Amino acid sequence: MITRNKRSGAGRGDILLGIVGVYLVYLLYASGFFTAAAWQDFNRRFYQNFIKDDRYMMLVDGLKSTVFMTSGATVIGVIVGLILSVIRVAYKGGVHIPVLNKFAETYITVLRGTPAMVQLLIWNFTIFASARDLNTQYIAILAFGLNSGAYVAEIFRGGIESIDPGQMEAARSLGLTYGSSMRHVILPQALRNVVPMLFNEFIALLKETSIAGYIGIDDLTRAGQNIQALTLEHSQPLVMVAIIYLIIVLFLTHLVRKLEEWLSRGRR
Amino acid sequence: MSDFILEVKDLHKTFTLQDGRELNVLNGISTGIRKGEKIAVIGPSGSGKSTFLRCLNRMEEPTSGVITFKDEEITSPACNINLVRRHMGMVFQHFYLFPHLTVRQNLTLAPVDLKLMTQEEADAKAKELLARVGLADKIEEWPDRLSGGQKQRVAIARAMAMNPDMLLFDEPTSALDPEMIGEVLDVMKELADSGMTMYLVTHEMGFAHKIADRVLFIDKGVISEEGTPDEVFDHPKQPRTIEFLSKVLRR
Repeated sequence: MITRNKRSGAGRGDILLGIVGVYLVYLLYASGFFTAAAWQDFNRRFYQNFIKDDRYMMLVDGLKSTVFMTSGATVIGVIVGLILSVIRVAYKGGVHIPVLNKFAETYITVLRGTPAMVQLLIWNFTIFASARDLNTQYIAILAFGLNSGAYVAEIFRGGIESIDPGQMEAARSLGLTYGSSMRHVILPQALRNVVPMLFNEFIALLKETSIAGYIGIDDLTRAGQNIQALTLEHSQPLVMVAIIYLIIVLFLTHLVRKLEEWLSRGRR
Repeated sequence: MSDFILEVKDLHKTFTLQDGRELNVLNGISTGIRKGEKIAVIGPSGSGKSTFLRCLNRMEEPTSGVITFKDEEITSPACNINLVRRHMGMVFQHFYLFPHLTVRQNLTLAPVDLKLMTQEEADAKAKELLARVGLADKIEEWPDRLSGGQKQRVAIARAMAMNPDMLLFDEPTSALDPEMIGEVLDVMKELADSGMTMYLVTHEMGFAHKIADRVLFIDKGVISEEGTPDEVFDHPKQPRTIEFLSKVLRR
């Protein structure tokens, strides 16, 4: 099964992470970071970047925008992915609607075969070029959602195809239609199998929305850059942005693990 | 017309393999089953006996031939096979219980979804059927928590929940541990005694002998011998039948 080639968590690299951390602290120490003067300088710059004029609110608003876009795109991604995957699986399973199947295949090929950034730019500057009244965030949600749908479709398809064909036969032998069998027997089982992978897809999506700045959306990443522009400060805002992303990703990764444990409970 | 509830005329099934070669599995089978009759289908593996059974409810699409069930030609393109399957239950070798549903939900899903019963009616029916297969206490259990024999008894009850006119058994005990075969055969015996019409593909020769009214011996996609259990098991005429039975019964 093809999923996005991105990792979302620390995993077994926790020890390595520790070593890198210790090394970084050593570097800071060696460069005189822990002297009183350097500490004072750090605090002054921290005040400039985040406290003065309530600049931290820029990050808060950026984070809101990032979460808003990710959530919206997630909803679209799941719906589009589910529809696409069912079209493709049904085609293999004998429900032949060639036009739909061709559409689904082309959709998945094109949206996975081109960079999300290019897609975002095309949506904003070509397709919705004349719709200047439209909130750009909605365009981003559409672009990210439709892009994610192509990946989710492949995740769902893998999940559906992992279900024993006998399940479909048993359902059909009782007189259930193909659609009913899919809905009541195959999809609930497939969904349970793919929940962890879906979650990872959305963690990847969260990070992917960091390109939204390219169409003028003040998301978390762009908020960091905006602070940079105000304070001419080269490191603190972006490092802070990175830390915020990392905390969210680690939290979500933790949730996935808990979810996996919960899903595998009660099964032999 | 005949008095068959299900009649098969000149049934052929050809599979096209991946490399384009064609495999003739059924080569012209004509037979039928009367209401209340129990027919055991035996034969060597690869003989086409399971394919024959799976063609009867069109789990496999017959390549040619005519199947009539209750005076309806179910091989005709105009036939809605979903409606036919409501009256023709199937029990599989590997049970195929729905693992995400409880035992009760396994039994009530189809009758309720097809609007044949309300949930309450289906629940009552499920309770009654589970008591009949000796699993009344497992009604809210998950399939994964059942033994193989219990799973197959639930699968039989699930097929019965649709009030079928006829049941198709596809090697129902072949995937079971030996000590669990008996409990499943007991349930099937009880069904047979209650007058259910049954097609049974099996390797359990003793059981087939005991409950079958007729036995079909299928070899190379044709019925090579047919008769009462006494005729086929005790006085087989075809050399192929004699050879097969001697191999199977020696074990």
